[in-house]
Amino acid sequence: MNELEEKFGQIYFAVLGAVALAFGAAELIASAGEGLTWGILDSSGAADPMFLPWRAIILLSVGFFYLSSVKNFAEIHQLAKAVLGSIMIWIVAGMAIWSRIASSIPGEETWFNSLEGFLASYAPPYCPEMFLLPFSLVIVYYILKEREEEAEGLSYRGKAR
Amino acid sequence: MPLSVDERWNLIEKISKQTVEFGARKHTLKDAIAELTVKPLTGIPVAIAVLYGIWSFFVDFAGTLFTDGFMVRLFDEHWLPFLQNAFHNNLDNWAYRLFIDAGHIENGVLVASDNCLEAFGVLTSGFFVPFGVVLWAVLAFYLMFALLEDVGYLPRLAVLVDTVLHKIGLHGYAIVPTFLSLGCNVPGVTATRALETRKQRFLMITLLSVFVPCGAQIGIMQDLVPELMGWIFLTLAIGYLGFGFILNKIVPGKSPEIIMDVPPYRMPMMKNIVSKLWVRTSRFLLVAVPFVLLGCLIVGLMYLTGAMDWLATVLGPFLMSWFGVPEETVSPLIAGFLRKDLAVGMLGGLMEQGIMTTFQVFTSVVLLCIYFPCLATFALMLKEENWKEFLGSIASLVAMVLVYGGLIHLVGIMLEVA
Repeated sequence: MNELEEKFGQIYFAVLGAVALAFGAAELIASAGEGLTWGILDSSGAADPMFLPWRAIILLSVGFFYLSSVKNFAEIHQLAKAVLGSIMIWIVAGMAIWSRIASSIPGEETWFNSLEGFLASYAPPYCPEMFLLPFSLVIVYYILKEREEEAEGLSYRGKAR
Repeated sequence: MPLSVDERWNLIEKISKQTVEFGARKHTLKDAIAELTVKPLTGIPVAIAVLYGIWSFFVDFAGTLFTDGFMVRLFDEHWLPFLQNAFHNNLDNWAYRLFIDAGHIENGVLVASDNCLEAFGVLTSGFFVPFGVVLWAVLAFYLMFALLEDVGYLPRLAVLVDTVLHKIGLHGYAIVPTFLSLGCNVPGVTATRALETRKQRFLMITLLSVFVPCGAQIGIMQDLVPELMGWIFLTLAIGYLGFGFILNKIVPGKSPEIIMDVPPYRMPMMKNIVSKLWVRTSRFLLVAVPFVLLGCLIVGLMYLTGAMDWLATVLGPFLMSWFGVPEETVSPLIAGFLRKDLAVGMLGGLMEQGIMTTFQVFTSVVLLCIYFPCLATFALMLKEENWKEFLGSIASLVAMVLVYGGLIHLVGIMLEVA
């Protein structure tokens, strides 16, 4: 990765890390009560009240992973931290999406949901991880870039074993 | 002359120096990720996220989509009324009560059940439990397990928990039987063959059969008491580690270190996942379904002959005073010998009748998890252990359930919730 890409990665993931930390802290605070819904942002704990603090811990970890990856971002181990942070967001957000899919298929009174009911299942509010999901996908660019360089044997910046 | 271990290693080193060329190897992104997932500081948060993923998938796949979405409707709105109508709702007939609907007492009158979980007939609850609830729970769990195995995450999880498991006389690889048992205790107990010493096998089998609920049981618990699941798992985890620590101190024998081969991360192959799912799920059904049907039959017969009432009268005072649960819990406890999922399902009926407080429900569910393994696991323990170990396991089980069950009641009294 060139210097511009490295600089952009540093700034981008520093900001994303700070946002993830803020979301995580908010979820942790919300978990002390009965959750919180603010506009299109939802921090409530579904059926199990343990889900919310669990999610909060994951988000806080994501924040720390992103922030700790910023220094010397192009180094392979640092980049790996950002990749792991993104994977963690994909797991939680992916499960939030899966939860909506699972509840959108069966209907209340009928075997299958009506079209209106099906579409309504995907309406906001959304959990913080779903907001972070599209932004976390930027890491895919860096993964592909790294793979390209690994294949070409170019900018190896990790330590040799 | 045979070589000693040290001499053998020296010889290996000498040969490898002459035959292997060592050069600098490029560290790839995959290597770096693999390293980070075994280091505690970065590996533990990742493990927390992975477990969250498994649990969320399990809840939504088994609970929301299949059981609540389709199976409850199929069994409660179609299958049960069909059988009730076909056999004229004849609650006076013993065969009807045994096979279709045992009914329940409301205001002193025997009335028909309106759901398959309460009906407790061989053809109603007997089919609803394995096919309406358990199948989907086990399928979801084994799918996740196969994915973790094939991606290569499971060995890393084993490395991560190695230090903790050493405190209870096991090593990281014990995570495999533990995970397998979360699907079904039977393959979990079989997987303990991978452990090195008899002491480790004894510890693992005892802890699995007491503190690790199977997928079937988890599925039913999630359906009945979703709000208590976190507390139930926390209580079981404390018991697993606490009693493991004590057993490790008491039981003689060795707990050696092992060297684990950690494979690289790989893309899982659909063919492998499907074949693993098929083998594990079909084996589970072959074991589970006959026991659920048998359980319904035996419990039904015990109700009809009055044996259940007699047992409730005899054991009730002890259950109430030591564990703080009502005497009605005796029937689920007896059914739990055959299938624990069935037994938890019976608790659902008691909850709906308003017989138990929330804390009593929590205590009863934990008691059902820990008080005895199901018959299939019990039979396998008999096969896998020698007589001395088997009796040791049973003695440990009895001691653990009495101590831990009593402790839970005591904590409830101290918190003024019991």
